[in-house]
Amino acid sequence: MHYINKLRQYGILIVFSIICLIISFISPQFLTVSNWTIIITQVSINAILAFGVTFVIITGGIDLSLGSIVAVAGVSAAMLAHPDSYPLLVPVFAGLFAGLLIGAFNGFIITKSKIAPFIVTLGTMTIGRGLALILSNGRPVSNLSDSFVFIGSGKILGIPVLIIILIIMFILCSVILNKTILGRYVYAVGGNEQAARASGINVSQVKIAVYSISGLLAGLAGILLTSRITTGQPNAGAGFELDAIAAVVIGGTSTTGGKGSMTGTLIGVLLIGVINNSLDLLNVTSYYQQVVMGIIIIGAVVLDSLNHKSNS
Amino acid sequence: MHAATEQILRVNRLSKSFFGIKALDNIHFDLKKGEVHALMGENGAGKSTFMKILIGLLKADSGSISFNSEQIENLDVHSIMQKCISMIHQEILMVPELTVAQNIFLGREIGRAYLLDDQAINQKAEDLLQSMGLNIKVRTKAKHLSIAEMQLIEIAKAVSHNARVIIMDEPSSALSEKEVEILFKIIRDLKNKGVSIIYISHKMEEIYKIADRITVLRDGKFIATKNTADLDKNSLISLMVGREIEELFSANSLAQPEVVLKVQNLHKKGKFSDINFEVHAGEVLGIAGLMGAGRTEIARAIFGLDRINSGNIILKGKKLTIRSPEDAIREGIGYVSEDRKTLGFIPELSVKQNISLSSILKYSKAWFIDNKKEQTATSKIAQELKIKASGLNQKVMNLSGGNQQKVVIARVLLASPFLIILDEPTRGIDIGAKHEIYKLIRQLTKGGLAVIMISSELPEILGMSNRILVLSKGKQKTILTQKEASQEKIMQYALH
Amino acid sequence: MKYTYLLFLTLFLFITGCNQSESDKKNDSEKIVIGISMLSMQNEFIVNISDEMQKKAEELGAELIIVDAERSPLKQIEQIESFIAQKVDVIILNPCEFEASSPAVTKALDANIPIVNVNSATKVQPTAFVGSNDVESGRIAMKFIAEKLGGKGNIVMIQGLNGQAAQIQREQGAKEIMEQFPGLVMIAQQTAEWDRAKSMDLMQNWIQSYGSKINAVFAHNDEMGLGAVKALQDAGMKDKVIVVSIDAIADALQAVKKGDLDATVFQDARKQGAGSIETAFKIARGQQFEKELLIPFKLLTKGDVDPYLKLN
Repeated sequence: MHYINKLRQYGILIVFSIICLIISFISPQFLTVSNWTIIITQVSINAILAFGVTFVIITGGIDLSLGSIVAVAGVSAAMLAHPDSYPLLVPVFAGLFAGLLIGAFNGFIITKSKIAPFIVTLGTMTIGRGLALILSNGRPVSNLSDSFVFIGSGKILGIPVLIIILIIMFILCSVILNKTILGRYVYAVGGNEQAARASGINVSQVKIAVYSISGLLAGLAGILLTSRITTGQPNAGAGFELDAIAAVVIGGTSTTGGKGSMTGTLIGVLLIGVINNSLDLLNVTSYYQQVVMGIIIIGAVVLDSLNHKSNS
Repeated sequence: MHAATEQILRVNRLSKSFFGIKALDNIHFDLKKGEVHALMGENGAGKSTFMKILIGLLKADSGSISFNSEQIENLDVHSIMQKCISMIHQEILMVPELTVAQNIFLGREIGRAYLLDDQAINQKAEDLLQSMGLNIKVRTKAKHLSIAEMQLIEIAKAVSHNARVIIMDEPSSALSEKEVEILFKIIRDLKNKGVSIIYISHKMEEIYKIADRITVLRDGKFIATKNTADLDKNSLISLMVGREIEELFSANSLAQPEVVLKVQNLHKKGKFSDINFEVHAGEVLGIAGLMGAGRTEIARAIFGLDRINSGNIILKGKKLTIRSPEDAIREGIGYVSEDRKTLGFIPELSVKQNISLSSILKYSKAWFIDNKKEQTATSKIAQELKIKASGLNQKVMNLSGGNQQKVVIARVLLASPFLIILDEPTRGIDIGAKHEIYKLIRQLTKGGLAVIMISSELPEILGMSNRILVLSKGKQKTILTQKEASQEKIMQYALH
Repeated sequence: MKYTYLLFLTLFLFITGCNQSESDKKNDSEKIVIGISMLSMQNEFIVNISDEMQKKAEELGAELIIVDAERSPLKQIEQIESFIAQKVDVIILNPCEFEASSPAVTKALDANIPIVNVNSATKVQPTAFVGSNDVESGRIAMKFIAEKLGGKGNIVMIQGLNGQAAQIQREQGAKEIMEQFPGLVMIAQQTAEWDRAKSMDLMQNWIQSYGSKINAVFAHNDEMGLGAVKALQDAGMKDKVIVVSIDAIADALQAVKKGDLDATVFQDARKQGAGSIETAFKIARGQQFEKELLIPFKLLTKGDVDPYLKLN
């Protein structure tokens, strides 16, 4: 019985391994270092968004403004990243700051107005998209400095910078979630908001913090995307929030809050990446890719609800 | 007493295991027509498992259940409900946005061609409630009802199902004395109509008032079935715990001269006004009163969960402005809520994480939690409070009610308060755990802690408090010393 | 109540009064009002068309009402309805879809308001069409590839959003040419939804599965072409693979100049924009106009991009 529980707990990891195994039989290129380098590079942006929104979802909230933050941050950074204009830190800081600002705005409105996060972030999603278009006049911002482009396509010691940033962010977010007071409070607020308040936790502060983190990481994702495609596009990132939320859900984080992990999110992100990659390798049309992805999302949630039943 | 002889329900050699552990081991049980049969045992004795099997939520591993000499152990919930066995759950399952009438007839709506006939439903519901002597408006939405009213509506629902057997799981836990009286009247009426009742409760007083026979379970085993008249309280307790226990309430410690909390002219519009009292170090101040008298509201206001309109709260000579529980905890006030599921603990977090939640700053460096310090502190207090869990990392949602309550108390105590407010600290927990909590309160007051205890159980208030403040309709009626106080006196003021 | 009636009465008189002053053909002194519904103002190419329209309108002295359909055919139909209600003199439609935007054309014609389609077609024939034949652009691009490869080689095609007129026609043109060259093989084709980042991911995955087998890439637009170029560059394969795309956006022209992108097909946004306004103007004045004004495409390679770069 004990083993069955363990099995469920690691369900998504097992599904992930089985899928990898099957694909490696069909496609010989799949299990190569170079292919995995590509997969991980490709998922890095979604991963960073998903890490951020994991905090939000564990508190029982949701953040739909991620994609728009990606665009605002990307465009702001790109505008300051022309060659010979400012040192690299300026556009990077601008992008991060833009993300942080929108995130904090989300948190502030949600806690002060008591409006559902779904509604508030839906609003900022639209506002953000508009801001990105205003900033860029509806046109992509190109002509970026080499140092800025290096973030998205450079390598250090043979490892793509994107992968290095992904690893750092994963460790950072895991530590925040598991080792810090904030992390503990995040679980507490999501698990039972009223009890958390009665335990002396400043629930509003915790919420503002998680939306700020989510926004900050979306800002980072915007910088990375801009650097990777060497242009800041006002329409970039549309729909990214749904990919990120899907990864979080596949990774076993409960949308009702109180439960979840960064490792789960990472596996969720990788699972999506592996499936996209392998279906491309096998030249399956994107129509089928969408169907497969939908099945996996639902499957993950079903798995999670089974897990719930076995616990109670 | 109604002469009840005809057997309606018979259970033979019922067993059930979870993960290799026997939750029920050869249970025998029989229920006569028109009797009130109390089922007693500590938490974890197997009462809920037994009831879940009876109503078809769980399947037994072996054994038989016969209802009117028909085997029913393999039926599902729906079929069993049709056999007229109903259960009133401890947790109330009502749809808040529907009216009382709509809730009662949920799933059995009256209407023609898919159009609901609200008039007919309301009429039927009104007749039903009137026949039971309940004065609740059937058009009220469930969300506006008190917990007590909801409980009574649940019973009405069972009656409307023409139930032959009604299982009541802690039906009085949220009821005031007066409401308990109404409940008992309903039960007696049901008895007279030949309905049999299985009554689960931890409250001795009630059992002796209402039950015809008592069956005791312990550790999943059948211990005995006796006529209530043949079983005195002490032997019942020893049957339940398997050993003789000492007198429930030991002598309380003496109040020290130091005034810990002073409350002046506390006023909250529509809830309470003119509240003035002091609590000394080492003292238990009991707060008694009917439901809705403002007991919990005062506690919530002192703890910062609600705002007051005017008045002073002075802790250790310092006037406080408390805006949130965060403020209250920082100043040294702790609160154990009557509603521990909502305000007490985080179900998904572990025992350790729950206990340290209010004082995590003490066990961390910079923003990082110091695991070792946290582990040491929480395991120490968990041992002191005898929290029974498979380990500190067990999730609190998997603990019994008594142990969950101890976890909440441990959390409050770990924040080293000067004053704690215990709101119905023993509601819904078994006699063994109750006794431990009483002992703990004594121990804490000996150490100089000031305690405010709110309780609906008069013996508890009388046994534990140095002084007793009685409330009625939001007004402070009197403060009695332990010597002056008696059940009659308290009720006199409370009903005033 | 009396006042309400009075108000309605005045309103009614006002409206009918307006109607009477309206005449079918404007004389030279009256300002012409043109209602324009654009596919998406988040797309650089479309923004270029609209900019040119405004320039031309200023020159001719026409008043423009430009609205953004945000890629929604439904919204577009509603916009046309409101133009009809406003009684504009001419409508210019930049259709979202071939079929779904057709009702907009029908409605305008039914209301006796002339309608000019710009850039792409609808199923229902409008008063006039100004644009380019997308099939032609596909032919031009594939012809270039065929010549470069000497009529023999493996090609991958990165498609636009499946089902859109531009995607269907560009694919059709490319396939027409491939039929003439049996040595050309399409080894994979997949959509990247007009998106640079998605195209980059797709190309990386193809490089994994086909490696050096790929001789040429045809991307349905420049964004995707540039994504493919980036992926090929990262893999160190750019000098071995030919990449051609369509639209000649600023970034693409830069890339052609640098030699990263082998060719782009210039679709003249300016001429389309200016041409549509001119046609609309002529219709309103009751002058002769061309029912189908086709702006030709032009293949741009390294040698001939300079003059186009200056245009930006």
